[in-house]
Amino acid sequence: MILLLYVFIAGWLVPLKPGIIQVTPERAEAGQIVELEVTGYNSNYTKDQGEVRAWLRLAGDTVIQAREVQVMDDRHLTCSFYIPSAFPVRQEAYPLSLILDHTSDGTSVLPNALFITPAKVQDENEAALWFSDKVTSVHEQSGIRFPFRNILSETIRNTYFHVPLWFAMIILFGVSAWYSLQYYRGGQIDLDRKTVALVKVGLLFGVLGLVTGMLWAKNTWNAYWSWDVKQNMSAIALLIYAAMMVMRASLEDDMQKARLTAGYNMFAFALLIPLLFIIPRMTDSLHPGSGGNPAFGGEDLDNTMRMVFYPAVIGFILLGLWISQLVYRTEKLK
Amino acid sequence: MTLIATEARIELRERYALSGILLYVLSAAFIVFSIWKELPPKEWGLTFWVIFLFCSLMAVLKTFGRESEGRYFYFYTLYHPLELFLAKAIYNLGLLFFIFLILWGTLTLMAGNQIIRFSWFLITGGLASLGLAFLLTLITSIAIKTQQSASLTSILALPLMIPLLLNMLRLTAYATGITPDDNPWNEFSMLSGIISLVVGLSLWLFPYLWRS
Repeated sequence: MILLLYVFIAGWLVPLKPGIIQVTPERAEAGQIVELEVTGYNSNYTKDQGEVRAWLRLAGDTVIQAREVQVMDDRHLTCSFYIPSAFPVRQEAYPLSLILDHTSDGTSVLPNALFITPAKVQDENEAALWFSDKVTSVHEQSGIRFPFRNILSETIRNTYFHVPLWFAMIILFGVSAWYSLQYYRGGQIDLDRKTVALVKVGLLFGVLGLVTGMLWAKNTWNAYWSWDVKQNMSAIALLIYAAMMVMRASLEDDMQKARLTAGYNMFAFALLIPLLFIIPRMTDSLHPGSGGNPAFGGEDLDNTMRMVFYPAVIGFILLGLWISQLVYRTEKLK
Repeated sequence: MTLIATEARIELRERYALSGILLYVLSAAFIVFSIWKELPPKEWGLTFWVIFLFCSLMAVLKTFGRESEGRYFYFYTLYHPLELFLAKAIYNLGLLFFIFLILWGTLTLMAGNQIIRFSWFLITGGLASLGLAFLLTLITSIAIKTQQSASLTSILALPLMIPLLLNMLRLTAYATGITPDDNPWNEFSMLSGIISLVVGLSLWLFPYLWRS
């Protein structure tokens, strides 16, 4: 409980790191001066005004520095760049990332902030301008903050609820399948109660996981339900377990109920694994972790998030086991 | 072996059951195609498998309902439950493959044939029959113990069939040549993996579920 309390408080209250929400204009032509209006998030640009620096990055060290940065208020600033008319590589369009550095806010990045179309007249000598500036001596932001991710922004907090809920559900179903196996090997009728309690709580967690996922999807994919393979498969998984509860309800004899539940439960758990972990990885999906990538790559969690995420996982699993203990005991008392 | 023959003989004796399934296949195909008339390959495959799924549900539903309690008790003393299950499942496998061929023929007659790679579609049909026969036989044996076995079979079986169905659709897409993908082995191994899981689990669980 203390773990979860900590998770809820930290998960909701720790502010996000400063970031960049948007940049106007979004496209420009090379060989001209571009005035970028930058809208920040949680930023304090007015502090140390002279110290804000900005770069546009093509790749690696290929950057140009802003000639001038003007702070308007805490959330807005403009910076003017001269975009060289020639590029070191040839492409049809050049996506540039905006990097801002500030003494107290630290560094913030907006990927693909500006799209550059090639200039009509190209001066090959200007390609060298791309290498004259370097991103140097950037500042680290101090204090406990969650990272600012483009698109995700505040919904990044959902990582502490959506993901651990699914982890907990898998654990609960797994333990219940284990109890079913024990019952299959000649256990007591008591094991059936444990199995069912775990499945009930697992179903609840699954529904909650689906709902938090849908809220997240509304904010990032712009629809609660987009018939993504991961969404479909998890809904089907819940249907399988719901069917099991229907089956139990339509049986009279307790012993028969226990035996059929044990059998079906093991069958369902075995099919759950390809359903949730293999099929979504084989097809295209919007969900992170599809198309062969693991869901948690190096960039998804930073150390501040880990400080909340791991307790959240442990806390939700323990909460699930605890609730199912309660369900089991009330069943037994009846 | 004799059990499979017995199954078949019982089925043939009650000819109305088999012809009932056939009629079901035909009328389902007829209803669907009188609405659509002509179908592009993707929808053709989808319709095919949806009709097939419901027909197979109908067909397998009768597996355990046919015999009386007393007969089961008699079987139970005579054979090992595994033999009984295998007999039923293999008989159902044959039945489903038969339905598959009939349905294919019907659709070819009425809506044109969209299949380019015949052997791959046959393989898909065989695998589908195998997986569904074992899955449905097991589920029916569970559902028969309850009061409303017919509706419960569909409730229990349909979500479990979906992983199979998805891979079947993907293989059908390959057979109709609508995917640029030239390598069906990935889907094939996936489907046969799930099917072997289903077969193994049902063989393991059936003797236990059957004891009552």
